[in-house]
Amino acid sequence: MASPCATSAPEAALGVLPRSDGSAKYSHAGYTVTASVNGPIEAQRKDENPYEAFVDVIVRPAAGVGGTRERHLESILQSSLSHIILIKNFPRCLIQIVLQIEDTPENDYVNTKLVQASLNFAIMPALFQTAVLALLSAGVPMRATAAATAVAVVPQDGVKKTVVDPSPRDIEIAQSVHVLAFTSHGELLLAESEGDFTVKEWDGIYETAKKTCCHSTPAKDGMEMVLDEEASAGPDMRHFLRSTMESKVAADLYWK
Amino acid sequence: MPREVEPSLNEKQFVLQALQENLRLDGREIDQYRPLELTFGDQYGVADVTLGKTRVLAKASAEVTVPYTDRPLDGIFTIATELSPMTSPAFELNRPTETEVLLSRLLEKTVRRSNALDTESLCLIAGQKCWSVRVDVHVLSHDGNLIDAACFAVVAALRHFRKPDTSMEGGVLTVYTPAEREPVPLSWLHSPFCITWSFFGDQGEIALLDATWVEEQIRVASCTISLNRHGEICQIAKLGGTPVDAVALLQCSGVALTKAKEFSTYLDGKLAEDTKKRNKGGLLAELSAENDR
Amino acid sequence: MATANSRPTVLPGDEIDPSLIPQSKNKPLRLGPGLRHIPPNTILPTVAGQLITLPHKSSMWVEYNSNRYTPTASDLIIGTILRSGPDFYYVSLSPYTASATLPHLSFEGATKKTRPQLVPGSLVYARVTLANKHMDPELECASASTGKADGLGPLTGGMVFDVSLGFARRLLMGRSRQEGKVEVLELLGGDEGKLSFETAVGRNGKVWVGSENTKTVVIVGRALKETDEKGLGVEAQRKLVRRLVKETR
Repeated sequence: MASPCATSAPEAALGVLPRSDGSAKYSHAGYTVTASVNGPIEAQRKDENPYEAFVDVIVRPAAGVGGTRERHLESILQSSLSHIILIKNFPRCLIQIVLQIEDTPENDYVNTKLVQASLNFAIMPALFQTAVLALLSAGVPMRATAAATAVAVVPQDGVKKTVVDPSPRDIEIAQSVHVLAFTSHGELLLAESEGDFTVKEWDGIYETAKKTCCHSTPAKDGMEMVLDEEASAGPDMRHFLRSTMESKVAADLYWK
Repeated sequence: MPREVEPSLNEKQFVLQALQENLRLDGREIDQYRPLELTFGDQYGVADVTLGKTRVLAKASAEVTVPYTDRPLDGIFTIATELSPMTSPAFELNRPTETEVLLSRLLEKTVRRSNALDTESLCLIAGQKCWSVRVDVHVLSHDGNLIDAACFAVVAALRHFRKPDTSMEGGVLTVYTPAEREPVPLSWLHSPFCITWSFFGDQGEIALLDATWVEEQIRVASCTISLNRHGEICQIAKLGGTPVDAVALLQCSGVALTKAKEFSTYLDGKLAEDTKKRNKGGLLAELSAENDR
Repeated sequence: MATANSRPTVLPGDEIDPSLIPQSKNKPLRLGPGLRHIPPNTILPTVAGQLITLPHKSSMWVEYNSNRYTPTASDLIIGTILRSGPDFYYVSLSPYTASATLPHLSFEGATKKTRPQLVPGSLVYARVTLANKHMDPELECASASTGKADGLGPLTGGMVFDVSLGFARRLLMGRSRQEGKVEVLELLGGDEGKLSFETAVGRNGKVWVGSENTKTVVIVGRALKETDEKGLGVEAQRKLVRRLVKETR
């Protein structure tokens, strides 16, 4: 099975699960995730917080049972999503987000190992993005929208190349892999890194990720994106998010 | 745990009243299934089944492991069904509800115990290495009749799945990666399907197929018949509830056979369609070793 | 007719064009659902939807569709009685949320001896009197000032159907035919369907349909659900009603 091109455009569909308050299916760079959002609903006694809502994130792998890796991803997602959801509006309530991983890009050079379903670090942007889309679909009040992307530093021919949306092969040989998320106000929401890297490298990765997540839509003609020689320009996440939501709103309000 | 919502009295009384007049809320016939749709994923072994608003995703996977000590000549085959809050906020992880236990048991009996998958063919080296095939069932949306949809998804996923090719040379086992050799299908013996009947009324006199969530809350009994298109019954489960007339039950199994044949034809058609899509110039048709049973 | 720019699609946290905000000298600006105010001067959307502004009423809100109801005061809702307490009924407005309270005596002409005895599972058409984020919502079935029910109270028989919140809002609009573009109910009761039935619409996404004829209720329910789920326009609604009436005749 050929792994899809890493720079293929992301795709999203909203409202795919008819029984959830909000849902989204998102696929990009070989990852497909379906998310459901329910809430605000009543929280259990043990999770009840008298001042704000409790955001519960559950990550389910496609095959095998979830392990420590999934819990780790859940806690990262929970803290970043709690920042953009207006949790102070719903004390003692629960916002439940379930992320079901459906597809991950296959590495044809390795046979998959099941029992230790160690999740690829690079699935985090897909998980994050699907969660944000599902929250928008559910109409859960938020402070801002957000976009995430993965960047890897891959040694190629002796030179370190920055790759946006790395393939599994890239990740295997990468020196470091980073996941960053930015809000629509340009603030850094999430930054997780694995591997060896210098602070200077991280600064460069920060700039690359910010460009991917926070492109402003080109307003004037003739203003072209200058392709950095080192970094391959990834998809424009912010524009993608906006156009997806615009079609959803237009469909909802078809009657106006 | 947030309580499961119960329908109001008005709803319960109305649905029963309508059924007594032979009317279903969505205008279906008594023995009509909701539109069934099956999509395969890009990877082998992923089947997405939609039955009205119920959606089930099944994923089959395999890895090499050590066989059980009491069964050295058999491979391992497990079906995992864990309902999550995605199905409905009433379900919690790690706290199996009755629905979950029943679903898991019925799938066990239907697919595993009936030997739909030949576990002996999963053995690689007797007593040392064998394939462990695992099907994960994810219920994405619950609007009734999880059992039928889940069974269909499991069967579709297993028939669609390809495991890596292996070869034995002088006692040394080589497992090829998908890049080295094209994966091969599983040794499949027969395709069982579950058909669930729901009964209503004081004597369970009204029977219908493919209940929606609302209808499931009101039913007084249910009977799941698992069979394949040849009419071979794998199991019949009627777990408690109002007693139902035996003759009615026989009639139900007759209709169930018709439905099973319909499912079988549909599944075969979808698999053929998928093979054609992936087929590169007829090569795969030559290499296929699929048992045409 | 509003141009696209005056009713922009907004996402949470988007900046609002200051020229769109109604500037009125004597009327204070009223913010509807989907907007939040950060003192002193910032107004930000909190959901994805279409920003609507009414300069002559000095109000603005975000129009969007969702499925989870958040109780708001003076909304009419259809609730299910969960159980009876010493002085209140506990009523469920939507699944898995906290229950609302409805006083036993909040019905027209009710006294301790002659109040309606509602069993768990009954449906009531009520108005929300109190709703804030810190407390469980409170309901009434008779106006506190006049004591009259105005159509509120227990709903017997019939069937209740779930619809999206946006659709319920359209049904409740004063002139649902013109503003909400929902004609199904008129069509079904009028020349096309000639069916006789009554309805009650709850802001929490529930529509109760009552009729002597079971088939009528089923047809009305199917018409409402299909219009909502498939997003049918007026012409398509007409065709739908014709098809349903023909199918079941």
